[in-house]
Amino acid sequence: MTEISRRETLAWIAAASASAFAPQASLAAESGPAAWSDAAVPPATGPGYGHDPDLKAADVPWPLTFNPHQRAILHLSAGLILPADAGSPSGETLPLDAFVDEWISAPYPAQQQDRALILPGLAWLDEEGERRFGQDFVAASDAQRRAIFDAIAFRDRVALGYERPAQFFARLRGLMLAGFYTLPQGMADIGYLGNVPLVTDYPGPTPEAMAHLNASLTKLGLKPFNQG
Amino acid sequence: MTQHKASPRFEPDVVVVGSGAGGGMAAYALTRAGIKTLVLEAGRTYDPVAESAMLKWNHQAPLRASATPDKSFGYYDATAGGGWDMPGEPYINAPGTIFRWWRSRMLGGRTNHWGRHVPRFGPYDFKGKSRDGLGADWPISYEDIAPYYDRTEKLIGVSGANSGLENHPDSSPGVLQPPSKPRVPELMIQAAAADLGVPCVPSRYAILTRPIEDAHAPRQACFYATPCGRGCAIGAAFQTTTSLLPMAMGTGKLRIITDAMVARVLTDARGHAKGVEYIDRKSGATHFVAARVVVLAASACESARILFNSHTAQSPHGLANSSGQIGRSLMDSTGTDIFGHIPALEGRPRYNEDGKDNAHLYIPFWLYKEQAAGKLDFPRAYHYEIGGRFEMPGARFGLAGAEDGYGLSLKEDARRYYGAQVSFSVRGEMVPNADSYCELDPDAKDKYGLPVLRFHWKWSDHEYRQIAHGVKTARQIIERMGGRVLTPDVPPEQAIQSGGEIIHEVGTTRMGTNAGDSVTDGFGKSWDIPNLVIADGGVFPSNAHKNPTLTILALSWRSMDHLAARMRKGEI
Repeated sequence: MTEISRRETLAWIAAASASAFAPQASLAAESGPAAWSDAAVPPATGPGYGHDPDLKAADVPWPLTFNPHQRAILHLSAGLILPADAGSPSGETLPLDAFVDEWISAPYPAQQQDRALILPGLAWLDEEGERRFGQDFVAASDAQRRAIFDAIAFRDRVALGYERPAQFFARLRGLMLAGFYTLPQGMADIGYLGNVPLVTDYPGPTPEAMAHLNASLTKLGLKPFNQG
Repeated sequence: MTQHKASPRFEPDVVVVGSGAGGGMAAYALTRAGIKTLVLEAGRTYDPVAESAMLKWNHQAPLRASATPDKSFGYYDATAGGGWDMPGEPYINAPGTIFRWWRSRMLGGRTNHWGRHVPRFGPYDFKGKSRDGLGADWPISYEDIAPYYDRTEKLIGVSGANSGLENHPDSSPGVLQPPSKPRVPELMIQAAAADLGVPCVPSRYAILTRPIEDAHAPRQACFYATPCGRGCAIGAAFQTTTSLLPMAMGTGKLRIITDAMVARVLTDARGHAKGVEYIDRKSGATHFVAARVVVLAASACESARILFNSHTAQSPHGLANSSGQIGRSLMDSTGTDIFGHIPALEGRPRYNEDGKDNAHLYIPFWLYKEQAAGKLDFPRAYHYEIGGRFEMPGARFGLAGAEDGYGLSLKEDARRYYGAQVSFSVRGEMVPNADSYCELDPDAKDKYGLPVLRFHWKWSDHEYRQIAHGVKTARQIIERMGGRVLTPDVPPEQAIQSGGEIIHEVGTTRMGTNAGDSVTDGFGKSWDIPNLVIADGGVFPSNAHKNPTLTILALSWRSMDHLAARMRKGEI
């Protein structure tokens, strides 16, 4: 079984990338960023789904967390992180707020760890908006929200003192990616074409896929495959 | 599948403990021989046709179907009530030990969700000690089991191809079903491996590419969608609940009792087994079932535990344990995973890459000659299970650690990185050692009041050096593809997974050539108790790097044929 180690490895990669934010000189925040609240986050205490849930019902038994304001922050963030283009609609139009809420409300250790980052992070976005612009994240303008994201979203450009919010943003972005690309719109965008029962033998790569592979192999000095 | 509670009138000749690979095959082989068989399964009944979550999307499940402590292999995994940890059924790790024990509590056991990778053991794998002086030889040879490999592969349905490689035996003509066409990342790995002198050949999986007709268990060919770990409602991926158990039921000679947690084997005044005692999980009541023969197939460690718990005044250290070998020689496969990002695979043309659930190619061990010539610093072999495809996105969807920024560029990155990662899972042979074993914990008990196992575990330099070699070679293959290795290059002591995590645990009731240093003979028959047979991975004296389930199935069949012959002759 490889599942556990694969997860652990990916978790390691995620953790490594989350901690790789090199502090740089502050670009935007002359008086320093809004304080990150260390107030204890109340844990999610709802029930888990147990060792033997009804897989077809697939119910979420735990209560959710977000209030309407937090949901509004999530919606706006989803639209900024994954905006509309020709491939797929804006994240703002998809239920990513509900996904993140379900996630951080689950009574499991990994989700609880995310909860302790996401909830203070949402509060910080408001604080930072107040500090910079005199209004919270939701009331701020699109340009003002981008200014805040710009301080925390790029791993090589995290302003000094913004390390914790940057960590929060990395995790929020990870959840947004997971939430978005597991939905039909996201799967269509990246071109996942499976989960379709076939009545034939598995057909294998298309001629276009083989041509691409062979071109790559040739460039690498490796032997291409016969096509057909 | 239909179940029948044991009626008062059903008096079994043989009681089989466990319904997974070993027990399912025992039930199949014994009922085919006309022997009345009762299977006791500790878990609940399970019907993959009704219950498996085939074709469901990850977004339809809580947390996008990701793994949680409740469902360690993800929400949709066909594990009902089992896992690394089970409430009320602890196991203990001795100080300094990390051993993880995956248990099942469901009809069909772990066959409902297993990996289905079924390489054969080869001639060397049965005679490791003769070759390098380490561990123990098997009392049987490849030639003894080869006919049963053929029969088992035909029965369970194995798709793949013969590769004609050293110590990777071919199947007889007509046994294997056709392999499936490789995916693009697999072909790229094959090309890079070939350049480095490493073979990459069609894998063998217990997944049908052709249907198998049967009056009681008709099975369809794979439809190339849905991870096999969810359980297979169409019977394409082998599990006993859609094959051996209904086939055995069709003979009219089988009864199954689920929720029957076997506590111990009971013996008569002669010291022969007279039946087993089990606890009904629902009522808590204790029952006794009498039988002429007891077959243990509860999994290597659980069967060892049952024998420990069956101790008597005459056998204070456990039943059938005059050798003192029960619980000893606990082995798992070595394991570690290496991931790589391959720029040459970025943005490649899309197509449906689901296929069978596993890679259609794999890398078998290729250095037997070098090893025999003393050119390697580790004994025994390993293989790679490879990966890489456009997979159904799940909660771990990401960009290989390259996530950065936000906005349209992030979406472009998601398209670029999708399907551009490959993986190499090392699976190697561990040499048994005196520091890796299980025993009864002196204090802890489970919710049934039964003493539980305590594990002791240590890898040796044999395993560390083997893992180091596997990691180094995988990195070379990734780099030959122009790739970036994503997995940190840590020492093998850190890279190796914990004992038990590969879920290939075997060896705790090993077979051998004499009663002094083994628990059973080459037919799984207890040296001490003539009507006690062990039919799970516990009997393995060594644990070739090749995934054990095919060998458990073939051995169980062989042992049951032997048992049936003894019963026919009136020996028991």
